Parts: sequence; structure tokens; C-alpha cells
Amino acid sequence: MSRSNFLLGLAKVVVLLLCAGFVLGPIIATVLGGFKSTGDLRTNPLGLPKVRETQFYLDLITDPAFWRYMGNSLVISLAAVGLTLIVAAAAAYVFAQIRFFGSRFLLSYLLLGLVFPFATAILPLFITVRDLGLLDTYWAVILPQAAFGLSLAILLFKTFFDQLPRELFEAAYVEGCGYIRFFWRFTLPLSTPILATVGVFVFVQSWNNFLLPLIVLNSREVFTWPLGMMQFRGEYLTEWNRTLAFISLTLVPAIVFFLAAQRYIVAGLTGGAVKG
Amino acid sequence: MTPPDKAATRRRPRTSGKLRAVALMLPPALILFSLFVIAPLLNAGYYSLFHWNGYGTPQDFVGLRNYERAFDHSIFWVSVRNTVVLLLVSIFIQMPIALALALAIYRKTPTNAVFRLIFFLPFILAEIAAGLIWSFVFDGNTGLVAEITQALGIPPVFILSNRDWAFYAICLVVVWKYFGFHMMIYIAALQAVPSELIEAARIEGAKRWAVIRHVLIPHIRPAIVVSGFFAVIGSLQLFDLVIPLTNGGPSNQTHTIVSYLYTFGLTRLNIGYGSAVGVILFVAAVIVAVLYQWQLNRERAK
Amino acid sequence: MTEVRLSRIRKVFGAVEIFADLSLTVPEGSFTVLVGPSGCGKSTLLRMIAGLEEPTEGRIEIGGRDVTDAEPSDRGISMVFQSYALFPHMTVAQNIDFGLRLAKVPAAERERRVAQAAQILDLERYLDRKPAALSGGQRQRVAIGRSIVRNPAVFLFDEPLSNLDAALRNQMRVELAELHNRLDATMIYVTHDQVEAMTLADQIVVMNAGRIEQVGSPSELYERPATTFVARFIGSPRMNLLEGAVAAEHGAAICGIRPEHLTLTEDGPWAGTVTVAEYLGNETVIHVQSDLGDLIVRQPGQVRLAAGTPIRLTPDLSQIHRFDAEGKRL
Repeated sequence: MSRSNFLLGLAKVVVLLLCAGFVLGPIIATVLGGFKSTGDLRTNPLGLPKVRETQFYLDLITDPAFWRYMGNSLVISLAAVGLTLIVAAAAAYVFAQIRFFGSRFLLSYLLLGLVFPFATAILPLFITVRDLGLLDTYWAVILPQAAFGLSLAILLFKTFFDQLPRELFEAAYVEGCGYIRFFWRFTLPLSTPILATVGVFVFVQSWNNFLLPLIVLNSREVFTWPLGMMQFRGEYLTEWNRTLAFISLTLVPAIVFFLAAQRYIVAGLTGGAVKG
Repeated sequence: MTPPDKAATRRRPRTSGKLRAVALMLPPALILFSLFVIAPLLNAGYYSLFHWNGYGTPQDFVGLRNYERAFDHSIFWVSVRNTVVLLLVSIFIQMPIALALALAIYRKTPTNAVFRLIFFLPFILAEIAAGLIWSFVFDGNTGLVAEITQALGIPPVFILSNRDWAFYAICLVVVWKYFGFHMMIYIAALQAVPSELIEAARIEGAKRWAVIRHVLIPHIRPAIVVSGFFAVIGSLQLFDLVIPLTNGGPSNQTHTIVSYLYTFGLTRLNIGYGSAVGVILFVAAVIVAVLYQWQLNRERAK
Repeated sequence: MTEVRLSRIRKVFGAVEIFADLSLTVPEGSFTVLVGPSGCGKSTLLRMIAGLEEPTEGRIEIGGRDVTDAEPSDRGISMVFQSYALFPHMTVAQNIDFGLRLAKVPAAERERRVAQAAQILDLERYLDRKPAALSGGQRQRVAIGRSIVRNPAVFLFDEPLSNLDAALRNQMRVELAELHNRLDATMIYVTHDQVEAMTLADQIVVMNAGRIEQVGSPSELYERPATTFVARFIGSPRMNLLEGAVAAEHGAAICGIRPEHLTLTEDGPWAGTVTVAEYLGNETVIHVQSDLGDLIVRQPGQVRLAAGTPIRLTPDLSQIHRFDAEGKRL
């Protein structure tokens, strides 16, 4: 009995370690690869570097273009988060708090975005952005990004607002507090968990987005980091170590951010996902 | 304030406050959503009826010719086939792996927490970064594959340039990138199974496997349906990974629907044609959503 | 022989010792109730008998067989949980015969036993329903049904009535007592409600902070509580416990008297003033502030007394309980 339990436990640990190796192997090889000379990389792609070349990392860290890409991404992602949160929370608040003619219809309309992938309307979106004169501006990414984030954000916010006690509003209303003031003074402060969850998701999506910037940004001045990285890869086609150093440097903020925001990411997955 | 009519003053501020709130707080969402989501979608349907390069206004009306062209294009069918392969891999390989791992590490212990973190790590990386990492791994000169071929003493293999195998390599990367996401959904559901249910099953004589089969899996069915939905939608819109790995090649054999749309619609400025492909993708997504809703209703009715 | 015997049980959770050295015998066929305040270890004890927790040291025997290391399903027990623990995706019938299916009992036999259980518990009409479509009392019956079809030698109940409303609780209490008479099996029942304990048990085990305070029949516990803890815990309203001069007068450190053994009299030896008189219909419970301390007095019928009324009380001296300074009965 206990012997077979032990063997089962051992088998489990072995399988888990193999999976962990499969997951981590490529990432570790990438980080190490950034420290290797081209020759070293050719003969010894996965081992520790023979001579630790810090050149490629240093080149990048001192390259203003690298920081510009990161800065552009940061500005765009933060703006998308801010815009999505304010606009979606305001709309969700109206749906949760006020009954009016057509509210159910409007809610269904805004939730249509849950159904279809971003990519379906990407070409007409390009035309719209171009006709608005927004190509090669931050807004070209921020506005569509926020618009496509609205449906899920409104759904999650409304679910959350519906669960806030109704008596709270009635008590405030009796004291003479109006709808809009109640939103700022009570609803938003009480909703920080869901605001954080949605914010984290919009941020990650925007930070990692590739297709939208690819289509609406052509000038290197406004490139986000995924575009910059692909550009870089194209320039140093034979020098994998430079690209690997670039990737490694972008992994750092991703992992730090994930560890810091873990709670919200997991909450979003489970809460949002299970309610569907 | 002079209250001539008590009832009126009591009612009016309430309604006007409501109206003002609706009038101020709802339009931003409606405008943003209509302008950047709904209008492009409707335009896609409209543009898809024209032969148009995106400049000026669409004038060359071609009816359903763009759709016919797509259905006659062998590469389009390659992209559809690839998407279906990806979908099958996601559902029949990725999801069972994710479920098995979730069952192995759902209990709250420090070691399990470390494994959860590791398995979830690929999901938080940008697709572009993941794609580049794996295109390095698959590189026949410098990557993991190179290491293996060198060790075996055989000539280098370039899997991403192989017409028959390149797309399976992409599928492998998809599994690597997303199994942790599905696993997390299952873990959250498993942790919500009341411990008394498991204890009751043990008292009734259920061993490890019977507990999994009769208690845990039925209990997390809704989570499995949700993760299946994400797997299907994710397969339909895969793009970012394909570009750094193969860019659709070799000889257009590894396109997904979206990379096909991008390559044959936008880069060649066939806005009308690309829009038609977009509409086809939209229809596929709607069918998936309807099936999903139907399945959810069935689950609820049970 | 399905007596349950626990010998010298020690149980440690991390750094916390739940039981230091605990022994208990549950006689064959008895209805034994483990009662005590929350956190006293009664549920842990039950779960150890079930095999859901392992004792750190000690030995558990069921029907003379050592089951200390046996799987829960090999112990000849069944258990009804506080939350009922019904499998939500199975119908009532499937829930009831789950254990039989796992044990590969032939279908005909299974059907017969399910039908029998359903008949005993009045569940025949609900066999095809899912638990979500049942009321609390019906779910409770399904949980009991699941435990009786396996013909266990010992039934374990973990606060099974605490999720029911008061009226249903009373009804289920009667049904459980009937079930015990009919099945003639050993039942071990955990509760924090001393009324349930008094009405159901033929043996009560009073537990406190991981120790057994007293084991005995309901009347023994009521009439001869072994410690001040038992004296306070059993009986409602609770026993008056007095210290100081009055106790010394009776040769004890603490002496106790139940509310019904105090009478309102014109010239009683104890004086006090009324703080509240609660009229309950068949009786009145009077809270009195006196020189001896706060007292509770129970009088049959209706007694109208305003707050602040001075009264005098006569204790029934034959009903005085005497305890030493540690709270042990003298």
C-alpha cells in the first residue's frame, strides 16, 4: 500500500520535473544565449556560456531606441488601462444602478464584443484609423485597444457592482448623494479588487499586443517593443545572441509584473472565466 | 427653493439625476465601441463586396466574388486545415495534459505553488517573445534541435522550413504557451470542490481514481467547457506566434486564418478580399459562440 | 460485536496537540453523542473513527478489529456530513447507491436496497431528482439513505441537523431516534447542541479542550455532573454555580443548584432583586441579582415580577451539587 503510494509519488515528481524542464528550458537557453558569442552559440546552444559576453546586453541597455520602444509601450498600455477602466466602469455603473428604457438592449449591444476575435475587423479598422488621421500616433493603438477591452470589462464590472449592497446606495441617496457622486465616492473605491483585475488584464494584453500596432504604426518613433523586437531580429538575422539578449530584457518586466500582480491575474482567470 | 407641489419636487430630482447620469456616463462607452468595434465590423461586410485597395472610396463592386476567390484559393484551405489541426491539438492533447497536471498539483502546498508558477510562466510572455524563443530553439544551426542532431551525428534539421512538419512545430509552441492557462482554470475549479464531497466518496469506498472520475471531473465540468471555449477561440485567432516562427512559410504552408488574412489582405492592400476573409472568420466565431451558449444552457438544464 | 474502542489516542496537528491521551468505549448498539463547545475536538475524534484523520499515537478498534491504519471504506462505517456532501451531478438514486456501485454489488441487489432505503426515508418520489432540486430536510434524508444502504455496523453523524431550521430539526431528531430503534446499529453522533444530546443519546460524552469531561447517560449527566464544566454545559437554563461563604457552608469550594431547585418564598434564606423575568408560556425564568452572585430561577407558569422587585429564595438543599476548587465533584 504505502510502497505503491511512494512509487506513485515518485512518478509524479519525475513527470512534474520533466514538464518544468520543458517549460523552463527554452527560457533559460534564451537568457544564457544573450551572453554567448556567435561561435559559442553555434557549438554550444544550451550549455553555460564559455566566456560570458556582456556586450549584447550592454549594447541594448545603452541603445536609446530600445528604451524608446519600451517607453512607447508603457505609455500606450497605461493609457489603454486608464481609458478602459473609466469608460467601462461608468457604463457598467449605469447598467447596474439605473433602470431605464432600452438598458438591456444597450447592454447586449456592448457585450457583442465578447463574441468575435479582434482580427475579423482588422482591415476596416485600419481604414477607420487612417481616415481619422491617427496612423502613427499612440491613439491609433490606445482607442481600438480600449474599445475591444470594453465588453469583458463591462461584464465583469456589472457583475461586481450588482453584488454591492443596494442599501448602500439608498442610504447615501437619503443623505442627498446623487448618482454620479455616488459612483466616484462609493462604487469605485469599493471596487478596487475588480478594477485591479481588469486593469492588469488590459495592461498585459496591450503590452503584448502585436497585430494592432503592426497594422497602424509604421514609424519607428512610435514602435512598441514587440515591433521593435521584430525589427531588431530582421536587422541581426545571423546574430541570434543579440535577439536573445533583447528577448531576455523584455522577459524581466513581464516576470516582475506577473509576480507582483499574480493575485489579480489568477482572480481574473477564475472569476471571469468560470462565470463566462 | 419654494416647494409648490411636494410630490413633484420629491420626484423630479430623482428622475433628472438619473437622466444626467445616463447621459454622461453611457455615451463614452457607446461611442468608443461603435466607432472601433461595430463600425469596422459592418464595414468589413460592406468592403468585402468590392475590389478595393483602400484608397478613395470603394467603387468596383464585385458581389460575392471575393468569397468565391477565397474558397477557390488552395492556401486559404491550408490555413483552414491548419486552424482545425491546431484546434484538435488544443482540445485532445493540450487540455488533457493541463487537466492531468492540474490534478497533480491543485492542492495547496509550497512545492505545488512553485510548479504552478513555472507552468503558468509561458502564458504571461508575449506571443512574439515566445515565438522568437522557439524559433531559436528550432533553429537547425544553433538551437536545441541542432544540439540533438549534432549529438546524433546527423546533418542539421530545419523543422520550421519543412513543409510537412513546420505546423506541428507551431502546435508544440502553442501547447507550451497555453497549457498553463488551462491548467490554472482547472486548478481554481478543483480547489473549489468541497472537501466533504471527497471524504464522503472515500467513505463510500472510492479510491484515488474513482474520486477523480466520479467526483472531481464531474464537479469541474463547467470549467472544462469554459477552457474548451477559450481553446477554440484561441485557435481561430492565432497570429502572433506564427509571424516570428515561420511567417506563414515555407511556401505558405503554415498560415492560420488570421495570418492568411494579414498576408493576402493587408500586405497586398486587397482590403476587399481581406475583409471577406474577416467576415468568414467572424461567422466561424459566431458559430462557436452559439454552440458554446447552447452547451452552457444544456449544462444548466442538467 | 460492533463496539468501538479508542485507546490512548494522541493527535497533533502541526505544533498543536488536540488530544494528549484519550480513551473511550462506545458500546455495541448504543446511540452515543459527542457533545462540547466548538473546538473541543469532537469532530476530529469522529473523523478519526471514520479514518479521515489518522491518530498520531494510539489504537482504534471497531468490532474488536484493529482499524487504526485501515481505509475509511474498509471500516464498516458510514458517515453523514454537516453539509450532507451529496454529489451534485448525480440523482438521488445514484447518490444512494454510489458506494454499492463502487463495491460492484449486482444491479438487482442494488435496486432492492435503494428501494428499501427510499421507503424507510420516504424518498421514493424523489429518486430521479438532483440534490439541487430538494429541500434541506430531503437532502438530509438522502445523506442518511446513502449511509444506510451499505448496512454499516457503525453510523457516524457530524452535526447533521445544524443546517436545518428549528421545526425541521425537531422532526429529524425524532426520525433519527426511530431509525436507531429500527436498525439496531451503533451510532456515534457529534453535536454542540445539548438538547440534541439529551434527547437522542443513551450515552453522552462531554468533551472540553481535547479532554473527556464525563461519560454517562443523560440522567447521570444531569443529576450527577462530574465537573463544573458538565454542570454548566448540560441543562438549560444553566446551573447556578456559587463560590465563597455559601459554598463553604456546604463543605465545598463551589456549589451548584439548578434553576428549578430554587423556589420563591416569603421568608427564604437568600435575598435578591429581580433584573428580568422572561415568560416562556409554561414557565417563567427569573434573573436575580443577589449577594451570592447572579442567580437564575425557574418557576412553573406565569410569574409577574417587575425589574427591581425584591424577592427571597429557598434552595432545595437535597439538590445541591458540591465541587472542589478544581471543579471536580465531591
